[in-house]
Amino acid sequence: MSSPNDIKKGTVIRLNNELNVVIDFQRVSPGKGGSFVRTRMKNLKTGKVNETNFKAAESLDFEDVQNKKMQYLYTDGSLYTFMDNQSYEQISISGEDIGDDVKYLKEGLEVAVAMHGDLPLTVTIPMKIQYTITHTEPAVKGDTASGNVQKNAECDNGLQVRVPIFINQGDEIIINTDTGAYSERVNK
Amino acid sequence: MSIPTIAVERQLINDTIRTFFRTRGFVEVETPLVVKSPGMEPNLSPLETEVVEPNGTRHPAGLITSPEYAMKKLLGQGLEKIFTLTKVFRNQEELGGRHNPEFTLLEWYAQGADYQTCMTETEELVKAVGRSFHRTFPNFKRRPVRDLFLEKFALNLDQAKIADLKMACDQAQIHTDPSDTESDLFYRLFLEKIEPQLGWDPVFVHDYPIHQAALSRLTPDGLYGERFELYLNGLELCNGFTELTDAQEQRRRFAEEAVARKQAGKTVFPIDEELLRLLPSIKNPTYGNALGVDRLHMLVAGRASIQEVLLFPANNIFNS
Repeated sequence: MSSPNDIKKGTVIRLNNELNVVIDFQRVSPGKGGSFVRTRMKNLKTGKVNETNFKAAESLDFEDVQNKKMQYLYTDGSLYTFMDNQSYEQISISGEDIGDDVKYLKEGLEVAVAMHGDLPLTVTIPMKIQYTITHTEPAVKGDTASGNVQKNAECDNGLQVRVPIFINQGDEIIINTDTGAYSERVNK
Repeated sequence: MSIPTIAVERQLINDTIRTFFRTRGFVEVETPLVVKSPGMEPNLSPLETEVVEPNGTRHPAGLITSPEYAMKKLLGQGLEKIFTLTKVFRNQEELGGRHNPEFTLLEWYAQGADYQTCMTETEELVKAVGRSFHRTFPNFKRRPVRDLFLEKFALNLDQAKIADLKMACDQAQIHTDPSDTESDLFYRLFLEKIEPQLGWDPVFVHDYPIHQAALSRLTPDGLYGERFELYLNGLELCNGFTELTDAQEQRRRFAEEAVARKQAGKTVFPIDEELLRLLPSIKNPTYGNALGVDRLHMLVAGRASIQEVLLFPANNIFNS
């Protein structure tokens, strides 16, 4: 038996004899009493996503999940395809199962795919990803004075971000995928 | 968000808070961060450390989870209206989102008035900080927990027993566990069905069942604790009370919490005897409120996560 405190993205929980994969979770502590773990889980049989709250003191049945290192290849718009670099085996996962993180995927990105047996469940992406800026307007005079020290930019995978005004087209930058915020420029 | 922007915004918020309380006759006080009794709440995990004297004497210590004990000691020593802006620390919290293991708390107390006055003051404070960011808020609603449960579940908390709460969970298809207490079942209903419906407009939720209001005075009918929380944009912003000033009752609750901590395998800190000695010198009523400054910053600056209002988010310190 496992504790709800050990829940992570991709954890598979057996609840009322059905398998559920955790898409998102958050710990909450009320003013009094024990703390809870609020989870968004997808039922692997029905495909339905629902919110379930577990008390930290409960015990739960976790199923074995293997994290497999894979490389992102391409998408047809709804399915996202990844490849195992050792075996060249390919698998596809729907954007819905990957969640909000789909927007960070770019060709060749190495991710961890959570597998339950042969079934791919979800994808965990790195916390920091490097992108090339493919489009951004040059800084406008007066930007600094108005306190507006960031501007819009587009990355090589289409991701829209806010970057400091000194960033130019062609620059390599690091995005923190936890916050979605610009982190640093990569020195060439 | 750029670092200079965050720094300037935070300075403006702190200045507005300080001006607000000074013009109302509050004294700003500094309270210790490293203490012998950092807090007894069963679900909080203080950061633990040790104070070592030059002669080698070692004192087990912890970083405060709230300045509450020190603030109440000051009230017991004759300060009438006080506020503090301080860092507090909670271990085993998320690194990001709405939580950071170290965060800034505004805590204030006034003797001679109750939580109704405090709600009015809180509304004025949040509006004042909003104004300094050119943001206006609609008037704050006040909703008793009892009314929310009546509307949502047709459940009358005046009489509800543990079996009634369990039945309400089952009817709403809320997951429960055989080990659930009355407090757990109440919180499952609140978390799953009430909280998500509180919406974006400011609302004070007040008068909590007694098991949810450990440190508050009871309502005149004796059924609820005079506690309130402010929800705004789906964020829980503060937690206020008409404070409990009965040292005997406080000692009983500390003892209960010590047992709960022991059962949960957590460190049991010594009871703060100085606090219990000074508690009877505090007037009844006295109100107190604790408000998360980082969350207030998120709210007025329109940021979705706490990392976007901190100069040094814990996630960057420990995970990079």
